[in-house]
Amino acid sequence: MSADGSARPIESGAGPTPPPDPWRARVRNGVVALVLGALTAWSVRGTGFDLGELFSNLKQAQRLIDDSLPPAWGFLPRLWDPFLETLQIAYVSAVVGGLIALPLAVLSARPIAPLRAVYLVSRNAMNLLRTMPDLFWAMLFASAVGFGPFAGTLALSVFTVAVVAKLLSESMEAIDLGVLEAVRASGGGWFETVAYGVLPQVLPQYVSYLLYAFELNIRASVVLGLVGAGGVGVVLKSQLAMFDYARVTMIVLAIFVVVLMIETVSEFARRRLVGEIATGRR
Amino acid sequence: MSESTTAASSGTGTAGSNSPIPPSRGMGPWVGFGLAALFAWAALTLDVPQDRLLDLPERLARLGGLMFPPDAEYGRESVLPAMLESIQMAWLGTLIGAVLSLPLGLLGARNLFPALGVPIKALLGLIRVVPELLLAIYLVPVVGLGAFAGTLAIGLHSVGMLGKLSNDIVESMDLSPLEAVTACGGGTLENLRYAVMPQVLPEILALWLFRFEINLRASAVLGVVGAGGIGAVLLNNLSYRRFDKAGAVVVVIVVAVLAIDALSGALRKRLVQS
Repeated sequence: MSADGSARPIESGAGPTPPPDPWRARVRNGVVALVLGALTAWSVRGTGFDLGELFSNLKQAQRLIDDSLPPAWGFLPRLWDPFLETLQIAYVSAVVGGLIALPLAVLSARPIAPLRAVYLVSRNAMNLLRTMPDLFWAMLFASAVGFGPFAGTLALSVFTVAVVAKLLSESMEAIDLGVLEAVRASGGGWFETVAYGVLPQVLPQYVSYLLYAFELNIRASVVLGLVGAGGVGVVLKSQLAMFDYARVTMIVLAIFVVVLMIETVSEFARRRLVGEIATGRR
Repeated sequence: MSESTTAASSGTGTAGSNSPIPPSRGMGPWVGFGLAALFAWAALTLDVPQDRLLDLPERLARLGGLMFPPDAEYGRESVLPAMLESIQMAWLGTLIGAVLSLPLGLLGARNLFPALGVPIKALLGLIRVVPELLLAIYLVPVVGLGAFAGTLAIGLHSVGMLGKLSNDIVESMDLSPLEAVTACGGGTLENLRYAVMPQVLPEILALWLFRFEINLRASAVLGVVGAGGIGAVLLNNLSYRRFDKAGAVVVVIVVAVLAIDALSGALRKRLVQS
């Protein structure tokens, strides 16, 4: 009890912890509830949120369902090539992004980065990259290099770099530092330390993050076409523009099946990898 | 039989049970070779114009030069309101997802309701597969263009991930308080209220905040299909080649997302600590 009491002030840095005062807690909860309530009311007004509208538009929904079903099965063969392009975009950008992410992760892992300045710059650059949604990157690259799968591949590569480098650098910060010391003790420089001390320890996680990035890329790449960056989304966009919802539904169904299949396989592979880590460590 | 195997393993000493499994390099190089070949095929057949790959840095620099300095006045007057709309959509969408996912998160937890676990987890898995953008494609014709459709899409899609991770949180909790409540004569409802919720609520609240951060990015792109928010502003300005205005959008979204991430991250840390 006393140990608890003496440890807390050091953590919070402000005097001894006062005994729990029910009124203070109540007032604080009240203020929090008020703020959140105001935020919600503001959002309801701003977005025009109205469940009544949703239910009064059920006739509209009925018409949409009539338009959408049955899906245009005859359209399915024409989806083969766009889907292939989607998968290619996702795979190529997972590989390219994954390869670029590796050195960046080394530079933005605190105990491994050669200089503190390098660590700070690299870490913050990663965070900056991650603030922009994948489709925004796709729009920007489409403006830079023109419409098509090239723009999509560039966008998803950047996105993969951001995701993999962040996860991998966190894994690198959690490794067993004793191994690094051992490499240094036997005369290894910084490069040898990374190659023989760091990389073997994080390799399974690295592969698992690559698979995860590939899954994210698949999901992102099916909608890239909405902004003109290639893949099956291009077909989706053109059918949407013609309000051909039977074909739209066919495309959505196909996306659903493909994403589900790839995720199942990838998740299985990832679980095996993580399982190997667990058994290998013990 | 069992005696002989235990004797054998103890006979070979700790090496038998503790030595690492010998690395099986049998398939490794083949898999690597296959993946590299697949990459070569995918990269070469992908429609990538050679010249554009070579002058990519130049093109990016040119676009950057056109976007910066951004049109500040446009940023204040047109981009900021759109960004606020995106924030509102993300907030309300997260609330919808939270309200819908909480019962599913509790009912799908195998340690509380063993029979319901499998169907609920399957349902949540299916919801997660459909991206917000595809949901929005069907919601826009029903409720009309605008932020309402986007909010609903975000809310529905959030249920999948929130439900699954809530399941995980509930499944990893301490079961002894349940026993205590049951011993005092509490039924299922009392158990949920006094044994489950106090344990899992901080983590679930932190999870909701995390989802809010994700939804903020999602709401930013929904404008692409006319479902409100800042996405349409960027797309329009880029397609009319008004790059200084597009630059203003980029600046606003980067600053807003960084600020909200920092705020939400700090709140999450406090929630999980206390």
